[in-house]
Amino acid sequence: MNRKRRLFSQLVTLSWVAALIATVPITAAAQPTAQVPIETFELDNGMRVLTVHRPELASVYAGWVAHVGSANERPGITGISHFFEHMMFKGTHIIGTRDIERDLAVIAEQEEVQEKIRAEYRKQRERSRLGEIGDPFDDQYRTPELEQLEQRFRELVEEQRALMVKDEYDQIYTNAGASSLNAFTTHDLTAYFISVPANKLELWFWMESDRLSSPVFREFYSERDVVYEERRLRTESTPTGKFDEMLDSLFWQSHPYSWPVVGWPSDLESYTQAQADEYFATYYAPNNLTAILVGNFDPERVRELAQRYMGRLPRGEQEPPDVVTMEVAQNAEKRMIAHCDCQPQIEVRYHGVPFRHRDSYALDVLAALLNGSTGRLYKALVLEQEIASSASSRQDERKWAGLFSLHAESRGDATPEQLEQALYAEIRKLQEAPVADRELQKVKNRISADAYRRLQQPFFLLFQLMLYDGLGDYQYINQWSEKTLAVTAEDVQRVAKKYFQPENRAVGLYYRKAGTNAEEIPPELAELPEPVRQSIQSELRKIRAEEDPAVLEGSLSQLAAQKGQMPPQYQPAFSLLEKEIGDRLKALKEQPAADDGGES
Amino acid sequence: MSFERSAYGALVLTLALSLASALPGSADSTGRKGKAIPERPEQLSFPTLDFEIPQGDRYRHSIAGSTPAYVVEDHSLPLVNISVRIRSGSYLDPADKPGLAFLTSSLVRRGGTASKKAEDFDEEVEFLAANIGTASSNSHSQAFASCITQALDSCLELFFEMLREPRFQLSRLEVEKARLLEGLKQRNDDAGDILDREWDWLLLGEDYFVARKPTADQLTSIQPADLRDFHRRSWRPEGMVFTVSGDIDTKEILAKLEHYLSQWPEVAADLPAWPPSLPTKKPQPGLYYVDKDIPQGKVYIGHLMPQVTDWDNPDLAPLRVMNEILGAGGFSSRIVQRIRSDEGLAYSAGTNYSIEPLWPGSFFVSYQSKSSTVALAAKIALEEIDRIQREPVSPSELETAKNSLIQTFPRRFESANQIASTFAFDQYLGRSHDYWHKWRGQMAKITAADVQRVAQKYLDPSQFLMLVVGKWDDIAPGDKDARATMKEFFDGKGQPLPIRDPLTLQPQP
Repeated sequence: MNRKRRLFSQLVTLSWVAALIATVPITAAAQPTAQVPIETFELDNGMRVLTVHRPELASVYAGWVAHVGSANERPGITGISHFFEHMMFKGTHIIGTRDIERDLAVIAEQEEVQEKIRAEYRKQRERSRLGEIGDPFDDQYRTPELEQLEQRFRELVEEQRALMVKDEYDQIYTNAGASSLNAFTTHDLTAYFISVPANKLELWFWMESDRLSSPVFREFYSERDVVYEERRLRTESTPTGKFDEMLDSLFWQSHPYSWPVVGWPSDLESYTQAQADEYFATYYAPNNLTAILVGNFDPERVRELAQRYMGRLPRGEQEPPDVVTMEVAQNAEKRMIAHCDCQPQIEVRYHGVPFRHRDSYALDVLAALLNGSTGRLYKALVLEQEIASSASSRQDERKWAGLFSLHAESRGDATPEQLEQALYAEIRKLQEAPVADRELQKVKNRISADAYRRLQQPFFLLFQLMLYDGLGDYQYINQWSEKTLAVTAEDVQRVAKKYFQPENRAVGLYYRKAGTNAEEIPPELAELPEPVRQSIQSELRKIRAEEDPAVLEGSLSQLAAQKGQMPPQYQPAFSLLEKEIGDRLKALKEQPAADDGGES
Repeated sequence: MSFERSAYGALVLTLALSLASALPGSADSTGRKGKAIPERPEQLSFPTLDFEIPQGDRYRHSIAGSTPAYVVEDHSLPLVNISVRIRSGSYLDPADKPGLAFLTSSLVRRGGTASKKAEDFDEEVEFLAANIGTASSNSHSQAFASCITQALDSCLELFFEMLREPRFQLSRLEVEKARLLEGLKQRNDDAGDILDREWDWLLLGEDYFVARKPTADQLTSIQPADLRDFHRRSWRPEGMVFTVSGDIDTKEILAKLEHYLSQWPEVAADLPAWPPSLPTKKPQPGLYYVDKDIPQGKVYIGHLMPQVTDWDNPDLAPLRVMNEILGAGGFSSRIVQRIRSDEGLAYSAGTNYSIEPLWPGSFFVSYQSKSSTVALAAKIALEEIDRIQREPVSPSELETAKNSLIQTFPRRFESANQIASTFAFDQYLGRSHDYWHKWRGQMAKITAADVQRVAQKYLDPSQFLMLVVGKWDDIAPGDKDARATMKEFFDGKGQPLPIRDPLTLQPQP
């Protein structure tokens, strides 16, 4: 084995480096970039396998992606793709049980009780519609029938628990030195991944093909509660989560992207095992899956193992259906005004393009021009205008449709509307004039360099391959750099004009909720430049905390001496300082003498 | 360059051999063509993964006779990573200027250099497609650069001018202060931030540097002269440890480092004191809460752990195993299984512990659960802590935790960068590289009795603090089935903690 050869033989000299910081004219020609050496084959049952051989590693970073996400759902089962992801860790006919026959019988009994519970909730929903009760799932409205059924269900859970080998799926992997066992779900795909020691590759094939052949959805209903907690954690308990979810639904009108990946709460309460079984049969057949391995293995042995283990999965009876609902054209601007415990901020979203659309590369370059510490947004909003503490843009290409968003958080008393106008001004510049050569070259230099950097991180490489394959084409990883480096200044200008139109956008304005302000800005200071205002506010805080009347009186006389020389716009601020010192002095005088350590 | 690659080399060769011997036909129990799939995964047999721990001393060099540098060559990609750990950090912050170490490190990167305005410096870094950055923590500051090989010299030039002669441009300091100030305003927005802040204060005190937070006034008061002085006194070659990895020749890069370090100005002042001071607060056990209108309670339960400076301390390995079994081993650990998968009470639940060489560490359970089941989850967590003290862990739990820790160990040395950083951190802490050679052996000999012994020695529920952030009126009564209420803990005496003004940190009325 030749260890000295470069792993990625397609390396070429980076011609742009010669022109670094030099004054020589910068060539606009496309630069060759690092390629990821992907090998691929397909099994008879339709499963695709991708491998990237990295013999210097001690592990294999392994994953598989199912081409299904929340966009494949429908009202009533929203969130089931993500819920499914959780269920795939609950074991199989072999893993996680002491007696599979009895285990399945108990699950069937549980399902019968749940069917009765669902019938009760049907009545509860009606009572709620009639206004007799509030949220039909709220515990306070539980009927005696529901309580009885839930009691019966709990007994069945106890019975099943005695048959289970708790979390054995995780335990087998952990015991074998595998780590980072996890999974994630997006609108378009569901990905499962782990890293295993290089000598344990066969274990991975055993375990993954086992859960794809005979999964058992144990603890279905308690896991539903876990997912609900996840929703509370990520959406309901974060400063902007509830509103971000609203903005998504406002933005997407007809497309299934309008519901959240985690699902609507009422749907979470209503999934059935039968729905899960149907979902599995449709979307988890091998012809809808791709397995991906990055790391240290013998490529021949991978073929043999894939054939033996994954090859046993039967091809799905039907091809998974396409998502046919397309986003309708937007005809008017949409706006959301939110008040939250959050920094005042703005998000502007335009309908953009789906994954691999021919305009996506120019939009990627456009985003790169806007982002980063030398990008246009930071320079304009943060450094020059001093109205934002951060500003960025994102090109979010999904499988079926895409969006382009701009985001900024306010600095000082800048309002979301001010930020909005500043963002539009930057967009107008992109529409009105082509970007300069050097600025474009800077962005392209980074694209070339980052094509190497991603190869340093095997887990990151695995994630990118799962993502791209899940969106529709793993080869994107090697085509993206080349296509992006071919983008011209004219392309950027063209897409800026095409997509950034007012009727094509939704705007989310986030204000700090009244009463949660860190500090009200006194009206006397509102007109002052921010640095001056901040220093006066700082003085005010010191005054309010000062304990020594002599210090305050000294300040008062200083103020009086300076006041006459101050320009008129500072006069209200001076009066405010005088008033605050007066108030503080008064408070100090009224305060009882020895209150140290006393209770307030 | 041959020996630098030996760690990888040994690994690759052994694996290739063992894989070859495992190819079809050689080790098949069925003997049939097209091997059968064993019924259970335990029936699989695996080739050995023969991993050799790299020898730290082989990568160690000293620049100009004093500053240590760890250099690991790896020519697989045209990239070079360089980083430096610096004896600085917030332990050196003056009492009236918390945040100074952080701002200094931040402005080293953002504030330009002697010969370049910040805007020009940033443009050059970006055009080189380099990643240059700085960071600062409690006990050190850090700077790093990732460069393309062909642009290495320009990249180093920028990196070292930044380290040696930062400009601390006023306009950039103002921008950074304004950004931090906006961050301060958000201190009460996220319940998790409140939980972390109050927890640190309860355990270590508001004035101890690990827990200290700047007020808006303290932040505003910091001026370029403060940064300049702080930088001059602590960002010095005598307090630095370098790591370089990637597409470089060891001799050449050492010569370059020597060239740059020789240009450093001499500083008359002493090197900063070391180690950092210890906290004086004695934490008060009890139940504390902060009211916040969210549908979940976020919870920590735990206490401080002793500071341990002896890396040979025989309790370190059993503590790690105990933590794995109790709550840090994912779905294979007890608290996760009971709170999450049995009861569905939380999305994330588990335990964290740290044994620190420089100040006391801590042990705590953390989870978040809907208001009504906060008490039930706390009860379960405390039951599990009691159980791990009362009963020896089962043989299978012990084996799983040990196997996991031992077999994931090689991943610590999987890349050139990891090798260099691991050994450089040893150097910074004054820990022998030998530590890693004993690591797996110590782990392998742990018994169930060891785990129980350290659980009894280090965990003391009578000293626990419990902190809850959430809607207290919904949390206190407990769950609908009356399985637990908050009255069960600390005689039901919950002490409300006031919301702090985010700018002054004074309690709000």
